[in-house]
Amino acid sequence: MFFGVPNSNPRNPRLQLLKNVVLFKDLSMREIIMVDSLMHARSYVADEVIFDEGEEGQGLFLVLSGRVKITLPATAGNFLLELGPGAFFGEVALLDQSLRTAQARAVEDTQIVVLFRAEFYSLLETHSAIASRISFQLARVLAARLRQTVINASKHHHA
Amino acid sequence: MNRALASGPIVWLGIIVATCLLLVLFQTVLWLVMPVLLAVVAYYLMSPLVAAAMARGMTRARAVFIVTMLLTIILVGIGFTVAPRISSIAHNLPKRIIDYGGVGYQLVENAQKTLYTYFPFLHHQPAVATPASDGRNLGFVSSEVVPVPSAQATSDDLENQVAKWQAEYSGDIALELAHWIPSLLLVPYITYFFLLDGPRFKRFLVQAIPNAFFEKTLYLFYRVEDQVRRYFQGLLALTALDAICLGVGLWCLGLNAPFLLAVVAAVMAWLPYLGSIGGGLLVVLVAAHDFPGSHWLPYEVIGLFIGVRLLDDFVFMPLTVGRSLHMHPLVTVLMILLGGAVAGIAGLLLVMPVLGVVMVAGQIIGELVTDERILARYRHARRLKLERAQADLFTD
Repeated sequence: MFFGVPNSNPRNPRLQLLKNVVLFKDLSMREIIMVDSLMHARSYVADEVIFDEGEEGQGLFLVLSGRVKITLPATAGNFLLELGPGAFFGEVALLDQSLRTAQARAVEDTQIVVLFRAEFYSLLETHSAIASRISFQLARVLAARLRQTVINASKHHHA
Repeated sequence: MNRALASGPIVWLGIIVATCLLLVLFQTVLWLVMPVLLAVVAYYLMSPLVAAAMARGMTRARAVFIVTMLLTIILVGIGFTVAPRISSIAHNLPKRIIDYGGVGYQLVENAQKTLYTYFPFLHHQPAVATPASDGRNLGFVSSEVVPVPSAQATSDDLENQVAKWQAEYSGDIALELAHWIPSLLLVPYITYFFLLDGPRFKRFLVQAIPNAFFEKTLYLFYRVEDQVRRYFQGLLALTALDAICLGVGLWCLGLNAPFLLAVVAAVMAWLPYLGSIGGGLLVVLVAAHDFPGSHWLPYEVIGLFIGVRLLDDFVFMPLTVGRSLHMHPLVTVLMILLGGAVAGIAGLLLVMPVLGVVMVAGQIIGELVTDERILARYRHARRLKLERAQADLFTD
């Protein structure tokens, strides 16, 4: 087929990496292949901006290789965190159309896959069991981040 | 997209020009556009079935195969049922045209008589001042009745015209049919590949988009697809509602094959304005032809048609197609007229879906090319790649 067929061999390193991502840890390899067929692959060179703060988010980004730094440009390039292979960011865009709260930039040459919100919604309709397991893991990640934020705020308040 | 799309007058001018150019292009390759358009309609009609089959654990390939086979069986079934009837209609077409033309003429004559019965003053021609032989206007008012040709004379005229038309154009029609039928047979084939490879093809196209434009372009794809899907699903829902209302009404009036007539009239209404008039005329002529003794039946059919059209315009349309395009009514009417002027009947038929897609694409492209930050990011990425590509080219 002239526009390519996705590599659905379970030993494909990309599928192995996806299997280790926390969002997909409850999925079987067959289900991972299904989700992988919905994702868009992108390549970024070192120092290239992936998205800016204030942009409308359309999907979740997942790092396959390389490193990505998340910064808050509003506070003059204030560094938030650095993400490596298997990490994901921009996940709130899967839930709604809110604006990005930080900037993402490739630290080195980086391979990324993107799960677009509209495709995640179509997954909810066609493969609700898979989508609900991803949603559940996403909710756990967001809950953990909220808990951490509350703890940090509390420490800051007491200090 | 929460923020209002930046579509100023230049973007709108671009949208209108692009729509007109596309209509002209589509008119020249109509034999290809029509099967693709029908395949798009079939795709949106059948993609929920594919999704439902996939939700039950089927692979996409198997779900698409089963659903397309189903479509093919239905189309072949319809073909076998309708083909003998169409062949008989085509065979008797000249006779039918003469019959229905005669009925139409009779109908107009009856209407005239009925009007004269109830409004006798209409029997006279409008007052015309007759000039005197020397050119002076004497103010004499003529009340002569203009002679109306007899029904037989009109029927003979029509017969001659049809015979002439048949001799002149029958070869062209056969050639046109030979041209169209194979392209229409492509519909299930194109639909199959739309259903099977549509998502993969979309990802293939998105790969070509530079990173800086990636997220917004994905959103553009989603919006365009959503627009087209809602338009065609709305159009199909509208056609079904029109056909049901009209069919029930014609059945109550006692016409033969009411639902077939209703479906034909509802499908003809896809052509803005002209289609509705043509569909109405067809049903009225059939009613007058099949029930020559019933003088009031054609008027009842006209009343029914007007009722269904009002229902269509004020209730069904806003609920289905109107909701999908979010277009100002004045723009809609002007674009339909422009479509007709630029590309004739094909333009009338295609202008709304084409405008819907071009409008969304134009608005988002307008937003992309006026976003300085995105353009700066694009240039930055290009510079980074260029620096890397030429890193070891220069030696001191």
